[in-house]
Amino acid sequence: MAERLPPRTGEVIDREEELRFQFDGEDYLAFSGDTIASALAATGVRVFSRSFKYHRPRGLLCCAGHCPNCLVQVGEEPNVRACRRRVEAGMRVEPQNVTPTLKRDWLAPVMRALSPFMSVGFYYKTLYRPSWVWKLGEPLLRAATGLGKVSVPKIPSEGFDKQYLRGDVVVVGAGPAGMSATLSAAGQGASVLLLDENGQLGGHLRTTGDTQQRLPSLLEKVRAAGNIRVFTETTVTGWFDHSWLAAVRGHRLYKIRAGAVVLASGALERPLLFENNDLPGVMLGSAAQRLLRLHSVKPGQRAVVMTANDDGWEVAADLRAAGVEVVAMADERERAASSSARVDALSADVPVFWRHTVAAAHGGSAVQAATIVPLDGDGDTQAPRHRQDCDLLLVSVGWTPNTGLAYQAGVRFGFDEKRAELTARDMPENFAIAGRAAGTHLLEHELAEGALAGRSMAAAAGRGDAPAAAQWTQVQEEKAAEPARSAPWVSVAGAGKRFLCYCEDVTEKDLYTAVAEGYDSIELLKRYSTISMGPCQGKMCSMNAVHLCARANAASVDETGSTKSRPPLQPISLGALAGQNMEPVRVTPVHDWHLERGAKMMVAGLWLRPERYGDPAGEVRAVRERVGVIDVSTLGKYKLTGPSVPDILEKIYINRWRKLAVGRVRYGAMCNTEGIVMDDGVTARVGEQEWYMTTTSGGAGSVNEWMQWWMQSGWGEGVQLLNRTDDFAAVNLAGPQARALLQKLTGLQLGNDQFPYMHARSGAVAGVPCRLLRIGFTGELSYELHCPSSYGRHLWERLLAAGEQFGILPFGVEAQRVLRLEKGHLIIGQDTDALSNPIAAELSWAVKLDKEDFLGQRSLIRVTERGVRQRLVGFTVPGVSVAPEEGLQIVALGSNGKRPEIIGWVSSCRFSPTLNEVIGLCWLPSEIAETDGAEFNIWRDERPLAARVHHGAVYDPEGARLRS
Amino acid sequence: MSMKLVRQALRGERPPPRMWRAHELRERYDAVIIGGGAHGLCCAYYLAEEHGITDVAVLEKRYIGAGGSGRNTAIVRSNYLTPEGVRFYDASLKLYERMAGELDINVMLSQRGHLTLAHNDGSLRTMRRRAEVNRLQGVESRVIFPEEIERLCPHLDVSDHPRYPILGALYHPRGGIMRHDAVVWGYAHQADARGVHIHQLTEVTGIAVEGWRVTGVETNRGNIKTGTVLNATAGWCSTTAAMAGVKLPVTTSPLQACVSEPLKPFLDVVIVSGSLHVYVSQSDRGELVMGASVDPFPSYSSRGSLSFAESLAGHIVELMPALQHVRLMRQWAGLCDMTPDYSPIMGFTPVEGFYVDVGWGTYGFKASPISGKMLAECIATQRTPDLIAPFRLSRFSEFDLVGEKGAASVAN
Amino acid sequence: MLILNCPNCGERNVSEFRNGGEYRPRPACPREKDDLQWAEYVYLRSNVSGVQKEWWYHRAGCGLWFLAERHTKTNEITATYRWRPAAASSEEERKADG
Repeated sequence: MAERLPPRTGEVIDREEELRFQFDGEDYLAFSGDTIASALAATGVRVFSRSFKYHRPRGLLCCAGHCPNCLVQVGEEPNVRACRRRVEAGMRVEPQNVTPTLKRDWLAPVMRALSPFMSVGFYYKTLYRPSWVWKLGEPLLRAATGLGKVSVPKIPSEGFDKQYLRGDVVVVGAGPAGMSATLSAAGQGASVLLLDENGQLGGHLRTTGDTQQRLPSLLEKVRAAGNIRVFTETTVTGWFDHSWLAAVRGHRLYKIRAGAVVLASGALERPLLFENNDLPGVMLGSAAQRLLRLHSVKPGQRAVVMTANDDGWEVAADLRAAGVEVVAMADERERAASSSARVDALSADVPVFWRHTVAAAHGGSAVQAATIVPLDGDGDTQAPRHRQDCDLLLVSVGWTPNTGLAYQAGVRFGFDEKRAELTARDMPENFAIAGRAAGTHLLEHELAEGALAGRSMAAAAGRGDAPAAAQWTQVQEEKAAEPARSAPWVSVAGAGKRFLCYCEDVTEKDLYTAVAEGYDSIELLKRYSTISMGPCQGKMCSMNAVHLCARANAASVDETGSTKSRPPLQPISLGALAGQNMEPVRVTPVHDWHLERGAKMMVAGLWLRPERYGDPAGEVRAVRERVGVIDVSTLGKYKLTGPSVPDILEKIYINRWRKLAVGRVRYGAMCNTEGIVMDDGVTARVGEQEWYMTTTSGGAGSVNEWMQWWMQSGWGEGVQLLNRTDDFAAVNLAGPQARALLQKLTGLQLGNDQFPYMHARSGAVAGVPCRLLRIGFTGELSYELHCPSSYGRHLWERLLAAGEQFGILPFGVEAQRVLRLEKGHLIIGQDTDALSNPIAAELSWAVKLDKEDFLGQRSLIRVTERGVRQRLVGFTVPGVSVAPEEGLQIVALGSNGKRPEIIGWVSSCRFSPTLNEVIGLCWLPSEIAETDGAEFNIWRDERPLAARVHHGAVYDPEGARLRS
Repeated sequence: MSMKLVRQALRGERPPPRMWRAHELRERYDAVIIGGGAHGLCCAYYLAEEHGITDVAVLEKRYIGAGGSGRNTAIVRSNYLTPEGVRFYDASLKLYERMAGELDINVMLSQRGHLTLAHNDGSLRTMRRRAEVNRLQGVESRVIFPEEIERLCPHLDVSDHPRYPILGALYHPRGGIMRHDAVVWGYAHQADARGVHIHQLTEVTGIAVEGWRVTGVETNRGNIKTGTVLNATAGWCSTTAAMAGVKLPVTTSPLQACVSEPLKPFLDVVIVSGSLHVYVSQSDRGELVMGASVDPFPSYSSRGSLSFAESLAGHIVELMPALQHVRLMRQWAGLCDMTPDYSPIMGFTPVEGFYVDVGWGTYGFKASPISGKMLAECIATQRTPDLIAPFRLSRFSEFDLVGEKGAASVAN
Repeated sequence: MLILNCPNCGERNVSEFRNGGEYRPRPACPREKDDLQWAEYVYLRSNVSGVQKEWWYHRAGCGLWFLAERHTKTNEITATYRWRPAAASSEEERKADG
């Protein structure tokens, strides 16, 4: 650990605990509390990654988790910010985008040689003529692209989760302004959430200046307050409508509803464009301070400090205090803004170049020297040039407020040309910005502004009074009197590569070329050059890009605008966003029995249903020959009461209801306004003013909402609709022995005269209160039994026990599909689609157009006037035993060599074990469908297959069995 | 090495040629196209290239490609459900296949194969229906099962562990992805070269109509006299049509999308799951490009939501557990003009000289070249080309809708 | 996440609700509409970029269908209220009917 300093106050490492980890195949030691970056820097590692396009070596730049330079692979996790991720024992860290190793990347010289031909957007200009070239070129491009790896195809989930939080005031950033805001909001009685991405509170109080003395008292006050909750290592990633914030900490996503928000997220230091400004060893001043103060790591031995504000002098002083030799200072200004002992001391023994800037860095895999040049009033450079040897080149030339969250909250920014800073406007009433994020840099001002912001936001959230406007004015005036901290120039003229965007290797020249080609607005520029589109999402380059774009167009920064801040502010793992898998599953009261019996379950909407227990053909035979039972608890079930129930049913359904007698059941189908079939089911009139209605399983929810909508907007007078879907279990007992079986379990009179087809009864079955509907979807004598859910399994088991002597079998959805197909019954959603009307779908017998009014009626009147082009009709396929697959097309064969023309399609098709024949439902042109026995061709395996129209049910067409 | 790059390398400090130029707004044009996206620019290109109509202005409120053209997830395919849909989108795909050479820009068409997953028997049935319709129209498309799905994409969990296990998929080898912005720039470049005026930052504020006939367009930069106006906007198609007194069967909703940080390519095919409302592909930059279905309520706001990212991530991680550590880097929204039958509206309107190319829902990018070409033909010949006849505006008053809605709720 | 004020339950996350689209009163006598008028009711939408009166349903709550006035560009919701028969005889209804 060559660069590690002796223990210092404020360091966040625990020297008692050493951790061993791997980087690039070699072992390293870290102290507990080290980040991957600080541990590696402590041992003298300078190169962390290879750049996206040119494979140039890259080292630590921001040390704040923003830039792309230290992205590494940690085990299966790609693109980890090494400067933020703490070392864990045994961690396997790999550098990214290296071919094949970090130190010797053979693509680097290749890319250097090719770089004259790889100007901005080069890939749009090559590899497409002739067209097959792209087939070779694209794989090459793909081989070179990307950063981290997803190498193992299947890995187990690592236990992500989510938590909801709520606070009157949410303070983002726990630097001095944030802590001050927190204390003042809490002082007003507000509940405050204080979030910070660092491991400790304090923000820049921990990394700059002599201000650490202020920290303990702030920390103590925050700790002492009862209404403050602190979340460290928690990164806020987005502001969404109505102050809904996303924040992430490790594997946990917080979803926070804030009454008001104080943004005190500080500022990002701005890189400077000069030749080779990406060499390892070129760092932002604040990055060096973080390494020094938090991790006691010397970032280098001999430093040149390039600055345009007093912060750079602080950096230089910190370096000297840590034993780094400052070999030269270059300052774009004429003199320091404020005189201090530090400036004086430095000036005394370090060569200081006032009104100079750095024009170039020199070196191979790390910086070895810097060229310092004088700067004139227009930002142009002049001779003479000073070359200064160094191994560290620190840049402190300005700050960009970290205000992405504010942008998302609707705040807009203007550019103050004089101070070269962004200023906020259009502030929402429950959002405030304080501290460096608001351009306030002097500590006392930050504290004052934070306190005001905290109090204002507490008031906005309904806690305490807002401060007087005059107090804000004073804070604004004080801020305006602070010396400017941002240099007006982001780059000076010069040769070589001056990187604007580190993520995508976009240079200043690239930007000018793109503007000249016509991509002259910042948004076009972004899309063409890909600046700000990489992992840093513009944090390093956006501000500089806007400056350069403005310069290229001879426009102001304000006119040029900026690209939008879009969530997330920091990339967030899909795992954290996903959390635990919370997909609901609906199961019936008989579900466990199905599983115990080894049923093959199938997904049906949210439900799981038995598809089959054994051989579906056997299940079909049981129903046809003996008796079977199916769990139909998934059906939608409704209770309707009141004098006007017939009125609403008349409106909702296409058929009639008014004359349905008590104790009778009727099939009904409903349409939407367009006249498209929505749902069907049976409804029983169980009392003078009480009705029991069922819908399809899939339609249960939507029919309820549909009916409620009409009822709550004028049609609901005298009707109550209650959704009983979950309250009742339902089973269908079907087969010639159904009556005999059921009679064993009930005292109800089941004779055909006492309880005929399409009637309903209530009574006890197996001691359970049941509603019995005698209906026949399967085409056999059948009873549908509805009982309270809690008795569902009991009823089911008793039916099976009592049915044993009759050879009962439980049957699943697959057998039911065959059974209903033998009867020619359609399934809505399978045999119909979003364009199917009931007239075309073989339901015209149910459509009563002469009713007063029903939903879909007007559209159906039009349909009858014009006729239907296609109809749903039954068919058989003589002479085959394998059913054509559902979805196959029906074709008119073309003459010689012409492609067959599609005229219809198969919506349902099965082999009927009862009839020993393939049967189905299909959509055919009306003229074919109308003729019973008409032949047509199904297109199967690129060949026609002859089929025949069949009108009516293929099984028991007279319906004698279900009435027996 | 392309000569273009060699010339550029040798050019040194001299400026490169401009892709398109800025012009003064003329007082009259033969035709005005509202909307500088791929559709509008493509129509301008074909008007000039195939019909000799070059006195054309393309008016763009912001910058070219700012709307749906630059916000979609750049998936192309032609495996639709209806014969008319398949015919139309396949004609589009064929134009895409020769676009790079024609427009002289690498649009990076990457026909990586497109998988639409089925998680229940109903969607498997729809996949088979699509596959059959596709094949009968000469479009390669077939239903495949978990073993083959896993071979094409080893990262998919094809076991029965997920809440919605993968039962099968519709495989469409010619489906893929491309670089959407390049399509916009290519059309702009070629239209400009043929004399079309592209006016950026030019917002239409009114459309002059006299006695059911278009006479001009009002903009923030002045008025234009013209007898031909094409509404090729997305997101603002209803408001633009309303300026001409035309009401549309359209509801506008945001559609969100996002990209991950760049990763070394591992995902070869485009994966779509209609039931889980997600789709994902990996671009040539290494980013995973992901999207979902349209937002749950209509809006003109293009602000991203957290619930979108949560549900998308949940479903992606369920489909591909190995992506749990992949980070979402940027999310955005575009506006989708949804029609009742999930099909676009192209051609004549009741107002003479006012044409529409709207209602593009979530499928506009896939159809850019063919719709531009067909609209140009429609404008030039004053006849509705057969290929777009099913998509005429009058189909709604004729109750003769297109049956594409059955395909999937996620049409990508 | 938007907050919507259910007239029954108060402020709730929008994820509890289902949007029911533009408020468009159904013509009192659909039979009297000609095909064009009927198609207009069934298919055409104002789709305004501005304040829209629209239906919402409190799906994960009380089951109330209510009306909201929402700006479709900013999503700002200025009012939510129950449907009342009075609304049916408003100017709007007559226009939609006419």
